[in-house]
Amino acid sequence: MKGYLGKILKVDLTTGEIEEEAIPDNVYENVLSGIGLGAWYLYNQIPADADPLGPDNILGFTSGLLVGSGSLITGRWMAVCKSPLTGGWGDANCGGDFAPGIKACGYDAIFFRGISPTPVFLQVDKDGAVLRDATELWGTDAIETEDILRKECAVGGTPRVVTIGPAGEKKSLISGIVNDGGRIAARSGVGAVMGSKQLKAVVLSGNQRTKIADPKSMKAYSKEFGAKVKQANAPGFLKGYIFPILGNLTSKVKSVSATDGMMSVMLNKSYGTIAVNTMGLPNGDSPVKNWGGSVKDFSFRKYRKLNPDRVLARKTKNYACYSCTIQCGDICDISDLTDGKIEHTHKPEYENCCALGTNLLINDLDEIFLMSEALNRAGMDSISAGSTLGFAFECFEKGLITEADTGGLKLVWGDAKAASRLLDMMINREGIGDILADGVKVASEKIGGNSALYANHCGGQEPGMHDPKLDPMLGVHFSADPTPGRHTIGAGLYYNMMNLWQEVSWAPKVTKYPKSEEYIPSDDEALKSVALACYKMLNDGAGGCFFALIAGLDHWNLFRMLNDTTGWGLTADEYMAIGRRIQTLRQLFSVKHGVEPKDAIMRGRVMGDPPLESGNLKGITLPIDEMVALHWKHFGWNEHTGLPEQEIVGELKERALVQ
Amino acid sequence: MRVKVYAAGYCNFEHIDDDGFMSLPEGATLNDVLGNLGIPRLFRRALFTAVNYQQAKPATPLKDGDIVSLLGAMSGG
Repeated sequence: MKGYLGKILKVDLTTGEIEEEAIPDNVYENVLSGIGLGAWYLYNQIPADADPLGPDNILGFTSGLLVGSGSLITGRWMAVCKSPLTGGWGDANCGGDFAPGIKACGYDAIFFRGISPTPVFLQVDKDGAVLRDATELWGTDAIETEDILRKECAVGGTPRVVTIGPAGEKKSLISGIVNDGGRIAARSGVGAVMGSKQLKAVVLSGNQRTKIADPKSMKAYSKEFGAKVKQANAPGFLKGYIFPILGNLTSKVKSVSATDGMMSVMLNKSYGTIAVNTMGLPNGDSPVKNWGGSVKDFSFRKYRKLNPDRVLARKTKNYACYSCTIQCGDICDISDLTDGKIEHTHKPEYENCCALGTNLLINDLDEIFLMSEALNRAGMDSISAGSTLGFAFECFEKGLITEADTGGLKLVWGDAKAASRLLDMMINREGIGDILADGVKVASEKIGGNSALYANHCGGQEPGMHDPKLDPMLGVHFSADPTPGRHTIGAGLYYNMMNLWQEVSWAPKVTKYPKSEEYIPSDDEALKSVALACYKMLNDGAGGCFFALIAGLDHWNLFRMLNDTTGWGLTADEYMAIGRRIQTLRQLFSVKHGVEPKDAIMRGRVMGDPPLESGNLKGITLPIDEMVALHWKHFGWNEHTGLPEQEIVGELKERALVQ
Repeated sequence: MRVKVYAAGYCNFEHIDDDGFMSLPEGATLNDVLGNLGIPRLFRRALFTAVNYQQAKPATPLKDGDIVSLLGAMSGG
């Protein structure tokens, strides 16, 4: 038992019963910990007809197998549940400092079922686990709640806390769970599930250490990787004004090649994700005007105000998640924007700057900072919230909603104050905000007319802010992942950084190829997307960060770190089989709960139907059905339905993972 | 000697083998790699290149097993 504790904590919020359960080694050996453990447990425990916001749904907090192992950049925790947003598998992934807290208490995961009659929080410390009254905390924002609980529950050190804000309490289907002052496990509506259970927070204090098989080897490897990260510094000339030029250059490239993932580490060290703020306009990566526009609508004169250097002008100190040496985060001063009421905030991510900025033709960075902080405090997903604002703005433009619906608010593209006000209405479920608080799918069903044309979602979830027409494999993962709409599963660009072919026998090798090949459905492209999904599942079972993953096998080798931790001595192919099992379990979960995988295939303007009329991606329509069919086929799933084939389900049965 | 080269899409790949390596004579420099990649001399100093993950000038001498990286397409987040 190396790298995991072999034990989970189960909490029944209806009865108040709390008990431990030992988990057989077989589970970890077949699906790791983290998302794998979560998928195994939830698949077997949640009945098919469970209401996602009812007592039968289970909300899990899982840590990863590499968390606490001495490895670097392995501090991610996962929230898992049946998603109220998609009706199928739900998960959300977050950094911060909570993941080691779970294992320090002696558990690989904590699972909640039932519904508490009154608001509560779970506290686990040296005296055991207990549910405590949270009535007075109900209605308090997430960051303030965390501050209160960190002080109130401190037992020989600062406890680790996750909490929901008002959005989760009000069961917004696009709400998430917050940790470490505004880091958020945002996707799948996990916050709504926590709110439905009247569970305000989880507070953990522990000191249990995780044993690993070969600490000496792990220490040497971490030292080697840490030194590389330390050396990877951006050159002096790489300033914010360069990024539009880089975006322009990449829009003209006709060939792509294997690239060095450490270059992304270098960028992330300097800027974090905001380097894409202005790079993504010239090449079309960033969606504009609710995915219907292009750089023609949001020209350099406008988007230059999103220059990442202008974001960093507010930086006061670095921020790093647990065990991270890249430190892509920063803490920024916003006291001048809030009359001193709020002093600092996490640096808005690219997703925030795009969803709340470019997507709405907004270039007012101050308002983007404020909206980001409002979302962090409310515990609402910035991707889904920004997408829903875009949907509302377009519905207003098309006359599907009017000032009578919005309470007199004019939703005009580029109006940051209007966006900010509407966001407040969503967070508080006030007026039309009540309809919009559940994302674009629910909102379009309620607004009716042809509003569905402007509701960009796959299977109910709004996609991340990267256009698959620039990188078609992204569209495959938007459509085919059991948590649809995720931008952190894979893309052609990422595949070319990861060098999986060096160790995975079936992963197609890349040197250089024409960019046009990415737009043609093929076995090779499908094998790449399958490889990325399998590797990402391993990563989520291990608790690794995506930004370390894309550094590539040359630098951050998940297979090696897993072997150093577990002592299993498995090959890369054997580990990839574990990743495939996890992904299949997630897919089976969705199928069990009535999701038709083909219904989650992303359609409409995001896929180029109709195609854009301007910009770098004009005229492109992706053959997404053919691409997804090949992806499914190479996963061992039916290419027409996306249902896992009997052979692959049989293997899960033989391994006693499903009944 | 052989050096590992992570080129970018705008480069000439003629001198890079299927495993991403370039063969060079002893005493070769980064400048020789950039020349083989078809980068015009005028642009070589302006390009971001790294040897073993450290920013390097074209005159940097290379040795067997070195890793040369060029800044290519980037995205994410």
